[in-house]
Amino acid sequence: MGQGIARVVAATGTDVILIDRDLSLAHKAYDEISDKLDKEIERWGITESEKKAILARISPAGDYKPAKQAPMVIEAIQEDLEAKKLLLAHLDNICQPGTILVSNTSTLSITELAASTSRPDCVIGLHFLNPVHKVPLVEIVRGLKTSEKTVESIKEFASILNKTPVMVHEYPGYVTTRIIVPFLNEAMHVLMEGIASAEDIDSAMKLGFGFNMGPLSLADMMGLDEVMSWMENLLHELSEHKYNPCPLLRKMVRAGQLGVKTGQGFFKYDAEGNRIKEGE
Amino acid sequence: MNILVLNCGSSSVKYQLFNMDEGIPLAKGDVTRIGMSGAVLSHKPFDRPMTKVSGDILDHIMAIEHVVSILLSPNHGVIKDKSDIHAVGHRVVHGGEMFTSSTLINEEVMMHLRNMIELAPLHNPHNMRGISACQKILGDIPMVAVFDTAFHHTIPDYAYIYGLPYVLYKKYQIRRFGFHGTSHYYVAHRAAEILNRKFEDLNIITCHLGNGASIAAVHKGKSVDTSMGFTPLEGLIMGTRSGDMDPAIILRIMGLEELSLHEARTLLNKHSGLIGISGVSSDMRDLLEAKKEGNNRARLAFDAYCYRIKKYIGSYSFAMAGLDAIVFTGGIGENSKEVRAKVMEDMDWIGAGIDAEKNNSTKAIESDISSSDAKVRTLVIPTNEELVIARETQNIVGKNVQDKEVKTSR
Repeated sequence: MGQGIARVVAATGTDVILIDRDLSLAHKAYDEISDKLDKEIERWGITESEKKAILARISPAGDYKPAKQAPMVIEAIQEDLEAKKLLLAHLDNICQPGTILVSNTSTLSITELAASTSRPDCVIGLHFLNPVHKVPLVEIVRGLKTSEKTVESIKEFASILNKTPVMVHEYPGYVTTRIIVPFLNEAMHVLMEGIASAEDIDSAMKLGFGFNMGPLSLADMMGLDEVMSWMENLLHELSEHKYNPCPLLRKMVRAGQLGVKTGQGFFKYDAEGNRIKEGE
Repeated sequence: MNILVLNCGSSSVKYQLFNMDEGIPLAKGDVTRIGMSGAVLSHKPFDRPMTKVSGDILDHIMAIEHVVSILLSPNHGVIKDKSDIHAVGHRVVHGGEMFTSSTLINEEVMMHLRNMIELAPLHNPHNMRGISACQKILGDIPMVAVFDTAFHHTIPDYAYIYGLPYVLYKKYQIRRFGFHGTSHYYVAHRAAEILNRKFEDLNIITCHLGNGASIAAVHKGKSVDTSMGFTPLEGLIMGTRSGDMDPAIILRIMGLEELSLHEARTLLNKHSGLIGISGVSSDMRDLLEAKKEGNNRARLAFDAYCYRIKKYIGSYSFAMAGLDAIVFTGGIGENSKEVRAKVMEDMDWIGAGIDAEKNNSTKAIESDISSSDAKVRTLVIPTNEELVIARETQNIVGKNVQDKEVKTSR
């Protein structure tokens, strides 16, 4: 997700520092962005010179120090409350006083994340959806103490990114995650109960309701471990039975079948992330 | 009267300052890479060498501030004080059906322009940003908008309407507007001067062949048809744009390759035309080089490019029921003898033809390259949109001053 965000921000002409746990990971992310841009050129989405312009604005870094010069820092680390709190507290120490700290969380409490910093007025949630360059939506999430000024800057930022923002109140899952997760989970139950094949479940929902992707392909693309952690966060926050991860999902996550990124989820994928059709 | 002419693009500002009393340009230049790292201001005073300044120029306001300060600077400047700029002429791409001629900019005009952004989302917003920036920096001086579409407002309804449900025209103004109007006007008008004939007596076809390319039929001093349409995508094959094609093709490709709207749009605008056919380059010079080396797709792109122009010349001479002159302008039109020669091949049957020697020796200068016996003259005329914008601005501002004088004297 961090890569996707770095790419769309750089595409607007803004300089981006792409920070990962160490420099080699940051470089790897940079190379992956480059590969993805190549694919985009093959699909006529961008031109060679646009690719160069995007990459020229991304500088990989292996530690947090460069965050000091940024007027805005977006975190997109794993969906884990403690990890995010730690990171934000750390950034709070490094960054200039007015710097806005943005979390790309989809289920965690912005108020709680903000409380780990000395600038809760400058902490806000901005939830991107994958693939970031294609989905024209962001959810803007304000915590209890987020200032009006911060909200306005983020709205402006969303419009520069050419994304339609929806304002959501802080509540677990906001709109998108809250609604999509039970939908994916239900599709997994239907599969587990042997009602239809994975292929047919996806076809039914795609053709029947005009979804671009069936629920099981979508879950594979999002990453099954991600989907499961969203469900657990929702379950934890809302204590509702409907957010209980389907046993099939738990089983697959335990087996390391996490979807596109591992080559195996509800469907099979090659190294490029393209679906391998059965019998091929 | 000194007039500053501005052409604001997404990340660039081109400028030229004219002294209208003496009829000379004092300085010209541009700012590129606005909002990116390493923005550059290139400035060329009329009588001194070019200078370049680079630095962080974050938006159009900063860009125009830099332009004004270099115009005032002791070393490179050409004027003493901000107040020596008496008026500003802005290039505005789209005037829609509302603006059929240049107009003095006021709040009401800005409001209409804002409402028209839908029609030219790629250009008008930047043009308007330039206008606002000027208002901030230069204060209350008269500014005039000169529209790319204005010259084409005389195109008759049967030539601007598309064969689509009429309701779409009424609802969304889906019609031919045409672009490059200022350039077509300048070179057609200039052609009449060169031929020493009245503009109103002539049938002229003007070929503006630049990065974008369009062709216009100028009948008795008025544009009666042009190849660009609702957007600058229609018409001639261009550097990276497809020009005319069967509209069903794009629907078919979108289905076959599962393209999104955005991908389809960039396919047609940035991956097509000369670069798309040749796979070599969108630049005619590279293409000619590759063609010379025997690259067949470069040859194909060149041939298709020239053929499309010839086809339009044919249809426009019928549309006007006559032809007195063909004008080549724009980067390719002014510089490429190869393109001119290919387009003008086998035209003697309508009385047109070029002199190979004259054609070969003409590069970015005004020249009549016709063969001596040609009834239809072929001219090369470097375009000068800035001059037209400056003149339009002078006319309108002058008129406005007179109006005010009349009002106060009453």
